[in-house]
Order: sequence, then structure tokens, then C-alpha cells
Amino acid sequence: MWLNIYYIFCYIVFGYTLAIMASYLYLILQSFRAQHKLSINMPDDETIKYQMKSSPLTPAVSIIAPAFNEEVTIIDNVYSLMQIDYPSYEIIIINDASTDRTLELLITEFELVEVPYDVAMRVPSKPIKRVLMSTNEKFSKLKVVDKEHGGRKSDGSNAGINVCSNRYFVCTDVDCIVEPMALYRMMWLVVNSHVPTIGVSATMLMSNGCVVEDGHVVEARVPNRLLPMIQQLEYMRSFLIGKLGWSTINALPNISGGFGLFDLDVVVKSGGYDNRSMAEDVDMLLRMVTYMKNNGLDFRVAQVPKVCCWTEGPSTLKTLYRQRIRWARGLFEIVSNHRRLFFNPHYGPIGAFTLPYIFLFEFIAPVLEMCGFLFMIWLIITGGVNWDTAVILFAMIYMFSVLMCFFLLFFDYTTEAVPWFNRPKSYAKLLMMALIEPFIYHPFITYCSNYGYFQFLRNTTAVWTPIQRRGVKKKTK
Amino acid sequence: MDSVSVLTYYLRLIMAYGSYYVSYYTDLLRDYPYEVRTAAWVIQGSIVLMIIISILLARLARQRRIRERTLKSLEARYGDAVNLIFTDGVNPNLTREELLSHFRLSDRDAGKELLRDTLEKRLFCTMVYTKLIEDTSDESRRANLHLLLDIFGIPAFLENEVSLGAMRIKVQSMTMIRAFKLYISPWVINKLLSSRKTRVRRLAMYSSVMSSSDSDLDYFETDFFDENCCIYDEIELGYVLHRRRAAGLKLPNLAHWAHLQKNDNTKCLFVRLMRRFDQREYCSQLEDLFRESKHKKLIEEVSRTWGYLHYTEAEPLLVETMLTQPDDTKVAIMHAVTRMATGRSLHLLLDGYENTTNPHVRFEALRCMYSYGDEGRQVLHQLEASASEADKKFFTFFHNPITLDKIPLDKEQAYHPSVETFLTQSNF
Repeated sequence: MWLNIYYIFCYIVFGYTLAIMASYLYLILQSFRAQHKLSINMPDDETIKYQMKSSPLTPAVSIIAPAFNEEVTIIDNVYSLMQIDYPSYEIIIINDASTDRTLELLITEFELVEVPYDVAMRVPSKPIKRVLMSTNEKFSKLKVVDKEHGGRKSDGSNAGINVCSNRYFVCTDVDCIVEPMALYRMMWLVVNSHVPTIGVSATMLMSNGCVVEDGHVVEARVPNRLLPMIQQLEYMRSFLIGKLGWSTINALPNISGGFGLFDLDVVVKSGGYDNRSMAEDVDMLLRMVTYMKNNGLDFRVAQVPKVCCWTEGPSTLKTLYRQRIRWARGLFEIVSNHRRLFFNPHYGPIGAFTLPYIFLFEFIAPVLEMCGFLFMIWLIITGGVNWDTAVILFAMIYMFSVLMCFFLLFFDYTTEAVPWFNRPKSYAKLLMMALIEPFIYHPFITYCSNYGYFQFLRNTTAVWTPIQRRGVKKKTK
Repeated sequence: MDSVSVLTYYLRLIMAYGSYYVSYYTDLLRDYPYEVRTAAWVIQGSIVLMIIISILLARLARQRRIRERTLKSLEARYGDAVNLIFTDGVNPNLTREELLSHFRLSDRDAGKELLRDTLEKRLFCTMVYTKLIEDTSDESRRANLHLLLDIFGIPAFLENEVSLGAMRIKVQSMTMIRAFKLYISPWVINKLLSSRKTRVRRLAMYSSVMSSSDSDLDYFETDFFDENCCIYDEIELGYVLHRRRAAGLKLPNLAHWAHLQKNDNTKCLFVRLMRRFDQREYCSQLEDLFRESKHKKLIEEVSRTWGYLHYTEAEPLLVETMLTQPDDTKVAIMHAVTRMATGRSLHLLLDGYENTTNPHVRFEALRCMYSYGDEGRQVLHQLEASASEADKKFFTFFHNPITLDKIPLDKEQAYHPSVETFLTQSNF
């Protein structure tokens, strides 16, 4: 009987591996299809800017950036946001009851005074104490909201939604470095869509290793340290193959909390961000999709293939460990809270394809991998390993993962998605990471995911710990 | 042997090698379990694909290098002279001879092919296009630009690209034609009006509206625009109509076009465009849309358009219907009568303030009173004096210099949909 169980397990794992490979190939094909479509529908940056800047009809955008204890960087970051190139936008900084001098610095630097502002509570958030605007015309785009401490970014974002004046808004982190053309790229997909676009996901990469001048990335570089370098590859794979691929069949499951654009009406009608959720960005998008589908409304969620935003990622094992545990808990939460959407064609391609994919190949995978790893140890101890077969199966998985990296780099080079496309050294570094990732990084991530699931099941209280930032290289003049 | 035969020969050769390899390998792996066979195939497939991708990457890199080299050579040959056109202080009406002398060419050279191949022509267009869109000056340089493009044979080249190029090239060429403001023959464009690619079809449509003679515009007197218009369509239509007006061509009757559409959102688009192009003479044609439409947004757009265009004849109709309308429409009507400023509708604003519990509508009524002139402000002060504690918050906005600055309804900015509700949308 044990032998039968052994064989069944082996066949399941083998079939599962082939299914994962097939799904990756499908996503690669879809992302190439998206690239082809965008080459026709999305002109170069200069043309987009030329056409949108000259029109009074270009929709205005609000940028919402919650801040908590950011006294060191807040002024630079706000100046950086003010340099975004777009004809009409407002910046809403949410001070989530910072205990340091964040608000004080903002008031002094931008000449802020309190204005009458009776805020509509469109979505739930902690009470807003006051709204401040600048007396200086130069900073008229800026609005600062001082609110009671909500403890999470989602509460700050909800407060921003409550004071936002435009139909479209972008949610970002105050320490993100936004590309000057980001809003044009995202809004182009909104203005060009013949069905209502309820959200646009922007490609976001890690700023570790990049050179920054005046709040802009002037030299995009692959990080020098091992951990951020592998994560960069992971981010590129996620945005340029995963999300872009899903977006072609309108099945994008997530708009990153770091930089994403939303339609205010739909966000308000679906209840805004959930302050209790560990994966508030996925949760909100799924609620938006549910709202649209339940009301029989047509919609689209788009993905920008070019990099729009840079964020500093974890550079130590400890911070990465915490982040991945949080992500794993978030994934578990999504699977349990939105279970009615999974394998449900009523919710369109998201319910029929993306969520089943997430369940089968992202949620179950770490558990299956862990079981496989333990099973392998047991087989080694009992001497039951057929080494020839084991080596060739491992080689298959390994070669396929390297092939994925080849596709990714090819895609990046042809679309010029990331501004290092003309630096062969960057590609060589990323390729090297693809070679070592399965040995050192993947097992660690698998462990974190399993531990995150375990914590979720034990109902351990989730603690939101901010990532320890090392800062980016600043170019001195 | 011609190129097709050579290609066929090599394809056959590759297929022969491929089938030999497959049968050899199948035979070799025959006695192995199927998982080993599958793995072996995946490994080999991956290696083959990696080699193909590497070759493609190398080819792309080479193409990119050639492109960069060609662009550099073009910059060296013609860059300075092209820059001259976009330099301040240059005579806006250079003669052909003067321009040729800047390029160090004689009139005889201009007849020759100055750009060697398609790549050079495309890159030259890109070079001029990039400089053009970076240039923020007015139209005064247009004559020099057209002369320059003419010398290099660009109009005919772009027309050819639109006609015969791949889909991406068609779109790029039409975008450049739009930016260069070149004339394009209708037969080239008309073919694209039925393209299966929406973007190509739309670009062709707008190019056609931009350059059609007055009688050709009749072609659009159908529900041609009705396939789900997007914001970009409005941007483009606004642009091409602006171009027509600048070129002294007749503008279509947008109220009539609005009537022809079946989709209410498309109707809204044309009604909005009417106010941008000051088509006051056609405002009366919107009355039946206002009376008969059940679409809230359309009624709001018609009211706003009447307000912007000071179509005071519609004021009694607006006054008569306001109180039966939903809240957002009430606000649009109040804005409209405020902009008309006939001095006869202050009572409407007062009704708007008093007959609703919606704080947004009440605030907008006060805002309109403030913008109505001295008479309106007097009423506003009286209301403030008698306001209850709860209502006092409305009036604080009229005392703070920052918020007060944004209160008046500004005609210049008001076309922008978000500006009109800048302050009020999230209040209360």
C-alpha cells in the first residue's frame, strides 16, 4: 500500500510540475501578445505627452501618499512628487499621527495653513483632524491631511480617498521614487480604453543600487547585493510576465499598493481599503471586480509595461523574512475571505483562471514543495532514491527556470521596459541570479511562506513592521 | 534561384534535420519511463529556445546599433539645419533657396534622394518629430517645417507608409502626419476607415475630419462615432476641430452630430465639444435633448453648455425643471444660470439652498450666489447672518483666502471637468 501512495504522490508532483510550466508558458505568450498590442496602441512617451499635455480634456489625477514618521525623507519626497510631469494633479499627503517632526517640517517648508474642509466619509478611516493647504501658489497642488493614528497604510489611503477631488487617484508610498512620465503612461491606458478602466497597475522595480538625483532615478542599475538582485529578477518576472500576461485577458489579480491607479467611484462603491487585511491591495481589487461583475458592468484592469515607480526593497534576510511572512499570511487571508470567487466563472477570467492559478500554483506550491523536500530526505535516509531520474527531473525544472529568465530579458530588451536595456552587464548579472536562485533563494521563500501559513492558522496577531531602509545612492553635483 | 526558392530549400533542410533528430531521440529514449522522456524533451526544448532567444537578442542588438549609428550620421549631416527651424528669431518664412543653403545643398541636389533608404527616412522623421514636440512655440514655424519636409520628400514617404506599412508603422506615420499637420490624400485614409484595428480606424477617422472639405464632412453625419467613445476620442476630436478652425475650414454642426448618435455618452461628448468651440448658434437644437432625454449626464452636459455659451433663451426652461431634477443635475443647472448672469435667477439659487438637505447642493448654491455678483453676495451675507450653528460651516469657506480663491466659477478653466468640482466634491 505504501508503495502505491508513493507512486501516486510522485505522479501528482510530476503532473503538477508540468502544469506549472505550461501556465508559465501561457503567461509568456500572453505577455508577448500584450507587447504586440501595446506597440500599436501605446505610442512612445514623447507622443503620449504631446497629445495629452496639449488637451484641456486630459483627466486630472490625485496622488495619495500616507506618511508615518518620515521626518528624514518627507520634504525630499514631496518635492519629488511635485516634479511629476502631468498637466493636472494634486498631491495628498496623509500624516498618520506621526510622533516625530513630519507634520511640523511639512508646515514650515510648504507654508501650510489650516483650511475649512468638512470631509465626506466615503470609505471608513480614522477621524481627520484637519486639512492643510499652502499659502504659496507654488505649492498649490499640495494638500496635507492630519489624521488620528490608524496603524496601517490602508487607513491612511482611505483618508486620502475621503478628501480626493478627482475621479482617478494613485495610491503610493511616500518614499517611492516616481518616474516623471508615470502618470502619462498610466492615464494613457485609461483615456484610450473603450470600456471603463477601474484600475491601472504600474511596473514597479527596486531602487536599490540606482543613482538618484533631485528625486529621480537618473541611472537605473541592478542592485549590487545578492538579495536585492534576486528580488529584482523576481519583481521583473512578476510585473513583465505575470501581470502583463494576465492583463491581456483582463484577469489581473492585483494592483500593487506601491503605485497603482484607481477609479474613485468604483473604489468608494466597493468600500475602499480594508484596514484589517494583510493584503489590502489584492483584497480591494477583488472587491472592485466583485462589485462590477455583480452589477453587470463592463470593466478593464490594465498594466503598464514600462517601469513607473522605484521602491527600496528588503536588503537583509531578516526584513525579507518578515515581508514574506506577511505576504504569505495575506495570501491565506485572500484565499479564505474571497473563496466564493475561486473557480467561479461568474467573476470572469479572474474567477475562472487567475484565482484558480493563484490557489493551485502560488498558494499550494510552498506546501507541496515542503512535503516534497521532507519526502526526499526520507527517501535519502531509506536509500530509495533513483538518482538518475532525480537528476534529470531536477535538470528539467532548472533549465525551465533559466529559460524563463531568457524570455524575461528578451522581453525587457524589446520593450525597453526598464532603462538598463542598453547595459549588457545588467543582463549578465540578472542571468547569474537566475542560475543561483533555485538553490539559495527559493528554499528560503518556501520556508517563509509555510511559516506564514502556520502563523495564520495559529491566529497569531499580525504586526506590521516597516522595512528598514538603507537609502539609495544620491548623485552629488 | 530566387529568394522564395532559397527559403523553401532551407526550410525543407531544417525540417529534414528536425525530423531525423526527433526520430533518433525518440528511439534513443524508447526504453526509459515516460517521466524521464518528458524531462529530456523539456530540457532539449529549453536549450533550443535559449539558443533562439540569444540569436534574436544579438540580432536586435545589432539592429539597434545600426539604428543608433544612422541616427548619429543623420544628426551630423542635417541636425544643425533642422535645429535652425526651431530656433527663436529665425525668419518664419524662409525661401526654398535659403533653407537649401543651410543644408549646404543646391536646388539640383534637392531633386535627388537625400535620404538613402527607408530606415534613414524613418529616422529623419523621428528626428524632426522629436524636435517638433519638444518645441513649445506657436504655429509660426510651420511654413519652414513644411518646406523642410518637402525638400526631403517626407509627405510622400509618410503617405506611402500609411498605405503600405505594417500596422505599427501605419499608426506611427499617422501620428507624425498629425503632428506635422500634413495633408494626406483621402483615398489613402478612406481605406483605413474600415480597418479591423480600432486605433487605426480612429486615427484614420480623425485625419479625415481634420482635412476633409466642407462637403466631405457629410460622410460623418451618421452614427459613425457610436462604438464606445473613450476620453481619447474626445481629446482627438477636440484637436482636429481646433485644427479645422485654425485652417479656416467650416466646423460641423456638433448639435446635429449629437442628435445623430444613439449612445448617450457619445451625445454628451459632442455637447461638451460644442462649448469648447463656442457653437452658440446651435444651442436651440439641444432643447429637445434636454426635454426628452432620461440620461442624467446628458441633461447636465446640455445645461452646462447653455451656461458656458450664455444661451439665456433656455433660462426659463432650466428654472422650470430644476427642482424636479436629481441633486447632481441641480448643481449643473445652478452653475448654468450663474454663468448666464441675467440677474433673473437668484431665486433659483435660493431655492436650491433651501429646498434640499444635501449639503453638497447647498454649498454649491452658496458658491453660485457668491459668483452671481453683488446681488448674490448680498443674499449670501444675509443667509450667513441668519444661519444656524450647523449651517455656519458652509460659510467658513468664504472667509478663508485659500478656499475663497477656488470658489468663483471660472470660465477659462471650467471646461476641465475636474476643475468645476475641485473644492466641493469631497466637502460635506
